[in-house]
Amino acid sequence: MSAATAHAGPARPAGPASRLSLRRPFGDRAFNILALGSGLLVLVILVLIALTMTRQSTLWFRSEGWSGVFSTDWDPAHGKFGAMAFVFGTVITSVIAVIFAVPVSVGVALLLTEVLPRRWAQPVVYVIDLLAVVPSVVWGLWGILVLAPWLQPIYNAISSHVAGVPVLDDLFGGQPVSGAAFFTAGMILAVMITPIVTSLSREVIATVPVTDKEGAYALGATKWEMIRGAVWPHSQTGVVGAVLLGLGRAMGETIAAALVIGSSATVTSHLFFPGYSMPAVIANQFGEASGVMRSALIGLGVLLFFLTIIVNLAARSIVEWNDRRMKGA
Amino acid sequence: MASATGQAVDLREPGGRRRATNQIMIGGMWLAFAVLLVPLGFVIVTVVSKGISAISWQFLTNGTIPPNILPVTEGGMGAAVVGTLEITAFAALLAIPLGVLAAVYISEYSDRHRWLTHLISFMADVMTGVPSIVMGLFIFTIWVLYFGYSGFAGSLALACLMLPTVIRSSYEMLRLVPDSLRQGSYALGATKARVTLTVVLPAAVGGIVSGALLAVARAAGETAPLLFTILTVESVNANLLSGPNTALATQIFVNATSPFQGAQARAWGAALTLIAIAFILMIAARFVTARFAKNSR
Amino acid sequence: MQLRGSRPAVLAGGAVIAALALAACSTPATTAPAAAGTATGTAGTSSASGTLNGSGSTFQLTFQQAAISAFKSVNSSMKVNYSGVGSGTGRANLAAGTVNFAGSDSPIPSSETASFNGKKVLYFPVLLGPIALAYNLPGVSSLKLTPTLIANIFQGKIKTWNDPAIASANPGVTLPSTAITIAVRSDSSGTTQNFTLFLKTAVPSVWALGSSSTVKWPGTARAASGNGGVAQVIKSTSGAIGYVDYTDAKATGLSMASVQNKSGDFVAPSPAGASAAGDGVTVAPDLTFHAVWAAGATAYPITYQSWDLVYAAQPSANDAAMLKDYLGYLLGPGQQLLTQLYYAPLPSSIQTKAQAQLSQITVAP
Repeated sequence: MSAATAHAGPARPAGPASRLSLRRPFGDRAFNILALGSGLLVLVILVLIALTMTRQSTLWFRSEGWSGVFSTDWDPAHGKFGAMAFVFGTVITSVIAVIFAVPVSVGVALLLTEVLPRRWAQPVVYVIDLLAVVPSVVWGLWGILVLAPWLQPIYNAISSHVAGVPVLDDLFGGQPVSGAAFFTAGMILAVMITPIVTSLSREVIATVPVTDKEGAYALGATKWEMIRGAVWPHSQTGVVGAVLLGLGRAMGETIAAALVIGSSATVTSHLFFPGYSMPAVIANQFGEASGVMRSALIGLGVLLFFLTIIVNLAARSIVEWNDRRMKGA
Repeated sequence: MASATGQAVDLREPGGRRRATNQIMIGGMWLAFAVLLVPLGFVIVTVVSKGISAISWQFLTNGTIPPNILPVTEGGMGAAVVGTLEITAFAALLAIPLGVLAAVYISEYSDRHRWLTHLISFMADVMTGVPSIVMGLFIFTIWVLYFGYSGFAGSLALACLMLPTVIRSSYEMLRLVPDSLRQGSYALGATKARVTLTVVLPAAVGGIVSGALLAVARAAGETAPLLFTILTVESVNANLLSGPNTALATQIFVNATSPFQGAQARAWGAALTLIAIAFILMIAARFVTARFAKNSR
Repeated sequence: MQLRGSRPAVLAGGAVIAALALAACSTPATTAPAAAGTATGTAGTSSASGTLNGSGSTFQLTFQQAAISAFKSVNSSMKVNYSGVGSGTGRANLAAGTVNFAGSDSPIPSSETASFNGKKVLYFPVLLGPIALAYNLPGVSSLKLTPTLIANIFQGKIKTWNDPAIASANPGVTLPSTAITIAVRSDSSGTTQNFTLFLKTAVPSVWALGSSSTVKWPGTARAASGNGGVAQVIKSTSGAIGYVDYTDAKATGLSMASVQNKSGDFVAPSPAGASAAGDGVTVAPDLTFHAVWAAGATAYPITYQSWDLVYAAQPSANDAAMLKDYLGYLLGPGQQLLTQLYYAPLPSSIQTKAQAQLSQITVAP
């Protein structure tokens, strides 16, 4: 220690900051401020977004009242601006998206890190990249021009087959009008969030210590057992983080959803029926909106904000609970 | 290798159920990949078949986007190409450094300011759920209303969109850097800044860059935030800071829903161009990352 | 301080982007495509130069694009931009001062007047156009519809084509038993607003869905984005009927129904029918009017209009000169572009009044 303290140069042992903060070199302090500033920028931007949007949506709350705002009736021609149909649609399509995207993403991520030799992994990574660079408007156009017409007879076939079956009929029954529906939007969203969930999961899974994996093999585990025992516990928090990112993206996706969701503000259990989501209605109806309607559309953005907060809170609590369970209280 | 009890250990593959489970699971992973290929293949085939006839050197460089009614042989999308490249590049310049720095703050300074880092990390996640159109409206409200439509406003909107993704993915990468690396560096007497810049970041650079790339790829294809910030005009505006601009994503949207054949052909040509540009950029950046990551290993 | 890996990678990536951007920037001198039509204009005698920005109605978009292109040969030192973001946003942009003029299919509603801060806004009507009822019914080449029929079809009360109500308006035509699929707009639009205004004005006791740019259609309706989207739905669905701008219905090659007008005659959508409707409107002093359900024997009843809105007091002399130049072109030689784009030019009485109103554009003190 005496040798270190004898130096007069800027390098100092970076121990507990409080004791040494007075003597921290300028570079370190500058970096600290830079990093802190960047972090605070996130808060500043969010606060600004929340403030400006809330301010512009107060007209909606004032003229509709709380019961009006949370009703399911959206009828601009008669001055009705209820939001629940869109909240419902956002939740439903995002849930469908995650249900389809997560198994596929995690599966491909495992394929890339555990199963494929390095040389074969590169082309697969390029496939994921290609999926990521397709613009959202192209997904929407493809969805409405190709996927929806292709799905329509399938929806009709399924719904006629499940007619009368208790739960399935509620979900998949009814008489679908067209291929543009909650389910179609959910599938397009699933495809759109897969690249990011895959990429992040892959990075997370790739950092499992080799010793853990080799230890599992040494005990005679099959590849799958190794994944379950060594890879998964180490990477599950990161994968949940990746899924949250994908979920956020699914909830906020605007143009693709606007084109394929069917644009019908109704609350129904039938997944093959047309529906609406918050970003989709903002995209479709903002251009001509004015007065209370404009305020209502911006208010929907605020609602989506809070929805994202709730979802993130829930996911994080689950992760924390799981962490405690895995690592002991 | 005999077991402790002296019985011979079966060194052949695990039998029956365990092997079957293993093979099913691995088969499932391959199935997942196959499932992924289906929509990708479909959409690429659709875009290429509809767009390839529009592509020509003139299409890619002519700086005047003609009226919708004119056929695709007139004019071109050069203005939109320039717009997309400029706006996206500038957005990346804004979002990536800030995002990585914010992620560094959350991960490296969490010992000093626990509640603040937790709050920022949580809020970054919340920000991923803000719809792209709301980002556009936000920039419209705080910037466009005072400074007018411009490519820069579009970059701001895209940067806001990219920021949470860059933060979250960079944070995940930084979090996975083993603490032993950091501790060793501290033990040698390095300051926090030095540890971060010379040890932690290089260890996580692969994942950080790939997360940043995905954010850029998404930004290049975003339409909604640009609709409110650049005004989608029909001629080249190389000046990012003043005057309305245009981009491929918005042109695709505006032209594809038009009933005129020429406009639709231009839309698909623009779609093909956008995918090609973004893909080339991603490959180039991945190649560069791989080379430098190899050097630093 | 050593930085391995990250910085060179970032720089290289940035260099790639910059190289591409530079390559794109150095485009050869752009050749403006041939104008949509020849419109002889007075050679550029004005000294107006600079960039003029407009935004708003998508109904006007096709006309604006053609006019901007043709205007280049009239005044080459001026650049005009127009973006079809929707009438509501166009008006909001004008109120905020981010554009020089706004295209709007309807006058400023009372809910928006406050945002203009008391400044006077001038309305310049620029065109008229029919909204067609396009349908897809193989074997039926001509279809007659009354406003009551249209109202009931679009409220989902008439469900099949061979309904007796439709048959009674179309004697002699064999109507199939196909189910009716109504095609509507998913995005808010001035077309929807004026179509529903027609129904509300013509048959208020039958039409219950109100009049607005966004309407709550029955759950069985197929919604699509833009006139082009609706046209596509109609084209690809047998038994579909929807409301589409005439321009776009023609471009997609759809069959269109004849609609019964105020005088009781069945008129097919056409520029001539729209002009006849324009002749029959009552114009307010500020040049606002509604062309739907207009009087006149040959008037097409579902005709609507679009205006360009500007502030009477402009911030600079150059802004005022640019506006007078371009708007003067739209109201003058530009009108000749309209018919080949399947719009209808303004009736001469309205055109004269609009051209006279140009002198009210002044420079703010």
